[in-house]
Amino acid sequence: MVSESIPPTARPKLSARARLQTDKITGKPVLLYPEGALILNPTAHAIVSLCTGRETVEAIAFSLATRYQNSVPEISNQISAFLNRLRAKNLLELI
Amino acid sequence: MSSLIPRPYSLLAELTHRCPLHCPYCSNPTQLTPTRDELTTSEWERVLLEAADLGVLQVGFSGGEPLQRRDLEELVARARTAGLYSNLITSSLGLTRRRAEELKAAGLDSVQISFQSDEASLADSIVGAQAHSKKLEAAHMVHNIGLPLTVNVVLHRGNIERLAEIIALAESLGAERLELANTQYYGWAFKNRALLLPSRLQIEIAAQLAKEASKRLFGKMEILFVVPDYYSSRPKPCMNGWGRRHLTVNPIGNVLPCPTAGHIKGLRFDNVRSRPLGWIWTESEAFTRFRGTAWMPEPCRSCEFREIDFGGCRCQAALLTGDATVTDPACELSPFRREMTGFVESTQQNVPTDFSTRLEELLFRQNSWT
Repeated sequence: MVSESIPPTARPKLSARARLQTDKITGKPVLLYPEGALILNPTAHAIVSLCTGRETVEAIAFSLATRYQNSVPEISNQISAFLNRLRAKNLLELI
Repeated sequence: MSSLIPRPYSLLAELTHRCPLHCPYCSNPTQLTPTRDELTTSEWERVLLEAADLGVLQVGFSGGEPLQRRDLEELVARARTAGLYSNLITSSLGLTRRRAEELKAAGLDSVQISFQSDEASLADSIVGAQAHSKKLEAAHMVHNIGLPLTVNVVLHRGNIERLAEIIALAESLGAERLELANTQYYGWAFKNRALLLPSRLQIEIAAQLAKEASKRLFGKMEILFVVPDYYSSRPKPCMNGWGRRHLTVNPIGNVLPCPTAGHIKGLRFDNVRSRPLGWIWTESEAFTRFRGTAWMPEPCRSCEFREIDFGGCRCQAALLTGDATVTDPACELSPFRREMTGFVESTQQNVPTDFSTRLEELLFRQNSWT
């Protein structure tokens, strides 16, 4: 899969064509987009909820590292991987 | 038992077989359903609710041309209240600005418009109507009113060499997604496959172009390109497994595991007019016949890929061998692969440079308007 690094100062914003809602069957958060759906784990859900165009990638990493008591580099890797997945589907704007 | 049965994720709602176009690779069956037998608005509404209760998350409103249904806005609104993500799969013919705005207000999530080429003469000759300029207008309008746009182009021998221009067209229309869909050879396309199948060289060049464009447009436009199974050594994981992810409801309410399953002779399809959708999904003959791996013959049964490609496509097995229960002939392990390869080789010579001179050899469905 194609990917490229996202600068830490970029502000990711979820595309208007993606919709976050609760899955009726599992009760879990699910991200819907053209021809696809992702059932989100708690970390992915937390990342998506912070993709508002106001927070930088760096700030999202700090915020989640605190919440999950994880190191910033480790959580940054998870965030990058997930954001690149969204970018490959063109579901993310970088502001 | 029911805990072993997966939930469906997507529903293709084929609202009508009526269409103003007549593409020679149309995915509709060669026997179209009559308009008078189409499901009513309230019947479709019930299907949408039952689908959402089963776990369906996505609905594609398709056809024929779904805009031919005057109740499309109502159905979109019902899909939205049921929590379904809705996609309108359309030629865009008949899509006025007013109608697009009404669909958006009803909660439509995205629009997929089909194009046949980047330029009008070839595009119009393929669909049998002066459609290309109207499609351009509609695509701009969809983008301008803020509906996410997917451009879908069915690729075949006649248009695949225009791929660079087609990608540029999708970019210029502001498409967020481009589906480069190689023709699937069933129904109308199967009748025309000797003229439609691209050459090996054409496919190789197109795959490389798509790959480069996908890289260049990363984060701007998602590009999908899948090498056709006629040129692959492994079968496609058709529908991600039979009765595993997807259901199609045809215009008269028959429920199918895939849009082309009607080609399989002897397979009985239940109808939403006489059975709840949940029963059809879990228990009906059509859905249980090839679900899972227990039905598989060799070489699939002991194959390490059986949970990856699910034995390939049942419709293709039926179409090419007369037996829906055998391994998809696209698989290199199938004893029938040799015939498919023979066909592929027979089409490598005499590639027409000007597709338009061969158009009279294609078989077309009849156009139909309301």
